[in-house]
Amino acid sequence: MTAESLAIRIEGARKSYGSTAVGRPDAVTEVSLSVSHGSVHGLLGPNGAGKTTTLKMLLGLVTPSAGVFEISGVPAHLPGARSNVGFLPEQPYFPSLLSASEVLGLHAELLGLDRREALLEIDELLERVGLEHKGGTRLARFSRGMLQRLGLAVALLGSPEVIVFDEPASGLDPVGQRDVRNIIQELKGQGVGVLLSSHQLSEVEAVCDEVTILDRGRVAARGHIDDLLNVAGQTSIRVQGDGALPDAVAARIVEQAVVGGVAVFSVADADVREVIDTLYDSGWRLLAVTPKRDSLEEYFANLLEAAPVEEGGVT
Amino acid sequence: MRPVLVIARAVVADAIRRKVVWMVIVFAGLLAIVAPSLPSYGVGVVDAVFREVAISLMYASSLVVTIALAATRVPGEVERRTVFGLLSRDVRRWQYLAGTWLGIFLVTGAVIAASTVVTIAIGGVVYGSLMTRLVMAAFAVWLEMGVVGAFGMALSTRVGAVTSSVGALVFVFVGHSISTLYTGGAANVSAPSYIPSLEMFDVVNAVSHGTGYSGVYALTMLTAFVAWVAILLLVATRVFQARDL
Repeated sequence: MTAESLAIRIEGARKSYGSTAVGRPDAVTEVSLSVSHGSVHGLLGPNGAGKTTTLKMLLGLVTPSAGVFEISGVPAHLPGARSNVGFLPEQPYFPSLLSASEVLGLHAELLGLDRREALLEIDELLERVGLEHKGGTRLARFSRGMLQRLGLAVALLGSPEVIVFDEPASGLDPVGQRDVRNIIQELKGQGVGVLLSSHQLSEVEAVCDEVTILDRGRVAARGHIDDLLNVAGQTSIRVQGDGALPDAVAARIVEQAVVGGVAVFSVADADVREVIDTLYDSGWRLLAVTPKRDSLEEYFANLLEAAPVEEGGVT
Repeated sequence: MRPVLVIARAVVADAIRRKVVWMVIVFAGLLAIVAPSLPSYGVGVVDAVFREVAISLMYASSLVVTIALAATRVPGEVERRTVFGLLSRDVRRWQYLAGTWLGIFLVTGAVIAASTVVTIAIGGVVYGSLMTRLVMAAFAVWLEMGVVGAFGMALSTRVGAVTSSVGALVFVFVGHSISTLYTGGAANVSAPSYIPSLEMFDVVNAVSHGTGYSGVYALTMLTAFVAWVAILLLVATRVFQARDL
């Protein structure tokens, strides 16, 4: 893949806030990642891992100490490079005395959108993010979730080719979180390159094609989400039925969880055929057979346990 | 240039909805109305004294508005992260600062214009004379507020709102007393012209007791204003550019 076809390219990013000689580690060290058009890349990590700093360096809000930052093949610091980028910062705020439509109008003007087209797009966007009929309301009356939705609308304004989300579901109720996921999926389908920073692992798991995991400013893991999470050699089976599982099955189970009449368990790949046959013969209803994968929560906890925090780590 | 104008308009739209701006205008208006009833007005030169009071009101009200907006706007936007949305949209930092300054300058101009109209009207009603010379004072005060606003904003790119407000007030004080400080108050001695000061914008005597100032003087003020603002905005940009947000 050429650099020109990438929506975002970050190579060797480093941010230092002081001299490492006096024991102050870099906030971000040698972070590299790339996002293709039509894909969603997740940036994961605990608080203080360097996610937001990396995004801010890309968007010109923080001066990088080193590294290459490109947006659609153009160095991000050059004038015009970010004209086609939408950004949703974490917990976005807007001038509270302005209305939602005025804020969107301001951004539309900054983008140089035609006034009539902008008005149409603003109405459409307000509806898309669930703020229809709220365009004239002053933002002082907006809840945090509504501000988050407005931030989303601002990021989507002008149909950008590249969008950067920093904790997009923050402050949203479950319906709002679902809406955000749907919008991200739509953007992906439209060929937009999305970089999504989050510590809500379920959110990342639901929408990201690839993830980069940061830990204390460094890349701890990177890859396709399936490659990172699938547990080699094990299959997860979900069945429904009454009573206890047959002994022949129970003897092969590696891990098990039972909720009501539904049992979820994992077995070795080699045992799958025999286990399924036994379950059928015993009258159990097979619901799903999938490769076993860790939740991102489990994966993340394992990763952090494997690399304990050093003293003086970045906070 | 478009981002500068768009941001300036947003600043104006936001500022005119702030209570502080309207409170200052109303308060200045009320003071202008009661000014002619002051006891000292019974002993001659009443309209000249009224003009002095009017200019002082104009100055004080515009100073409050200028500092309230210039010293708080940038720190507030950085703290609330409203600036992120602008700067990540390919707006350069100098454009953001220039637009913010321009917006504040326009709001201050509106406040000065309002208080000028009110005082001229009151002067006309009470003293029967149209004190159009107050427009000259308004122009000088407006230019000075542009400089003070640029200073306050430049300071606020690095430090907080309170420090910037105090700094701007100190700047005004020093700017108006630098010649005295330089000469030690000695008579017949004036500070060299290369020492920057705000005294050039002080036209109270010329407007209140004289016939105003010449077109050449207005041009000189305008030149000094442009130089001050350009330098201060340049410094502000350099400082803000180096700042991680």
